[in-house]
Amino acid sequence: MAWLPKWRHNVSYALFLLVPVVLYLGAYIYPLADTIRLSGFSWDGMSPDETWVGWDNYVQILQEPRILHALANNMKWLVYYLVAPTLVGLGLALLLDADLKGSYIFRTIFFVPFTITTVAVAATWRWIYDPNIGLLTETLRAIGLRGWTYNWLGDPTINTYAIMGASLWAWSGFTFLIYFAGLRNLPTDVIEAARIDGASPWLILTRIKLPLLLPSTIVIIGVAGVDSMRVFDIVWAMTQGGPYNSSSVLAIEMYQTSFARFDLGAGAAVAVLLLAVAAVLVMPYIYYLSGRIEDVRE
Amino acid sequence: MSLAASRSVPVRRARMSRRQLGRIGRYVLVLLVALAFLVPLLITLISSFKSPRELQTVLSLPSGIYTRNYIDAWHRIGRGVFNSVAITVPSVVLSVLVGACAAFPLSHVRIPYGRAIYFLLLAGMLVPYQVVQIPLFLIVRSLGLYNTLTGLSLVHVAYGVPFCTFFMRNFFGSVPRSMFEAAQLDGCRPAGYFFRILLPASVSGLTALAIVQSRAVWNDLFFGLTITSNPTTNPAPVALYTLIGGMEVDQGPIMAATVISILPMMIAFLIFQKAFIRGLLGGSGK
Repeated sequence: MAWLPKWRHNVSYALFLLVPVVLYLGAYIYPLADTIRLSGFSWDGMSPDETWVGWDNYVQILQEPRILHALANNMKWLVYYLVAPTLVGLGLALLLDADLKGSYIFRTIFFVPFTITTVAVAATWRWIYDPNIGLLTETLRAIGLRGWTYNWLGDPTINTYAIMGASLWAWSGFTFLIYFAGLRNLPTDVIEAARIDGASPWLILTRIKLPLLLPSTIVIIGVAGVDSMRVFDIVWAMTQGGPYNSSSVLAIEMYQTSFARFDLGAGAAVAVLLLAVAAVLVMPYIYYLSGRIEDVRE
Repeated sequence: MSLAASRSVPVRRARMSRRQLGRIGRYVLVLLVALAFLVPLLITLISSFKSPRELQTVLSLPSGIYTRNYIDAWHRIGRGVFNSVAITVPSVVLSVLVGACAAFPLSHVRIPYGRAIYFLLLAGMLVPYQVVQIPLFLIVRSLGLYNTLTGLSLVHVAYGVPFCTFFMRNFFGSVPRSMFEAAQLDGCRPAGYFFRILLPASVSGLTALAIVQSRAVWNDLFFGLTITSNPTTNPAPVALYTLIGGMEVDQGPIMAATVISILPMMIAFLIFQKAFIRGLLGGSGK
């Protein structure tokens, strides 16, 4: 009967996993499967009938200019997320690294925007971007740069970048903090030795600090990849994807198609497209995570 | 830094002063950037005290404190703030508990398919929520939980599973394994070890996760829009969104409402700053 306690314990471990796994199945697996299934049907969300249309929804959405435009905007967001917050966060972390006086206060200032709800970020920046009486326009006028003023959120050629500006303000606090902690964890003796040997700050940065910060960078890049596909809140709260879909992204197209035009099949197809793009982009990140899982202590 | 500086002092005086200059330059730069980060917040705060007429000139200070904005704003989003509290508190407590439950077997013992289960849970962090939006809406509606605070709380718990599991598994990995072995030798059952020893020993990790998770729940707009549809159930971000998306744009109350919606999280952050930061860094190669 020696196996009995062992077996009983296995059951109790399984019970620990029961609730999380059930929630996960309900929140991820079933809805994912259902979205994929739904993308093969034509359905308005109300009527009991779903009509099987095969690949038609995909053919339809891939021919719609607004969907392709939204996809292109997602790619812009990807480039933005990979580059801008990463560099700003790194720059801020390096600036504060040398134990400046008041470093604690600056750290708080850089980080606080990250704690703000996205809708509040949007409200703040809509006010700053107001084309008539907004802070940005007024400031540019006050310093004599009237020619540089735009209808920041209304001009289709620049509004996506204007939204990115607001996002950068809110998001840099996160990348800053990851890099700041990363710098704190670097081996000081190595850097000290290099400095005593006469290595220039630039050399220390590029040859020692940046390579050792790779784990932080990978975390940031991974999150950036996912978030660039997920971007919705800030665009929706600032422009709703407009004017004329100019600032739209796939998540907004999905929302509009499903819940404003009640074409749930096509909406599901947009969702699957979004998932496919996201999956391709985050594969390298999963690969990295899988390497880290090797050090499981069992 | 100080070691290197003190060594180079007698050797090269000229270079020392250049280093000092660099230090001042760096300081000025930090100050400017900090100012740039503060301006949006300050402009929001200042605007929230302005009367409609004063709002027409953004580069000016208000003559007094125009409290009408805050009274108006509270009427519009006060309910949302209470809803947000009623959603955030239970869903964060449950999320943390569920995450800890999942992380315990995954971090402590070898169970069949343990690694596969962990992988699957992790993969959830990479799914854009929009992909599951339509079925989620249908599920919640068929459970009779559409447009209820319970429904929205439950949704937050469910979507918190991947991150909370990931976080708590990392944390449990840092709890000394000898503790678990000693408990086993003493005949302690898994559930007994988990509730009486592991959880009390993990308070700091649980707190950190709770704070990170509170931010995610409090700030959410997407699930709020999907699951709730009227002011009695809308959480604060949705209420604020309704306010800024309205036809008549009332900038004063909007700014006041923005300040109100920011405050709870910001105060929580300032109080629990250490735990918050530790929590955020939980998953980042420490």
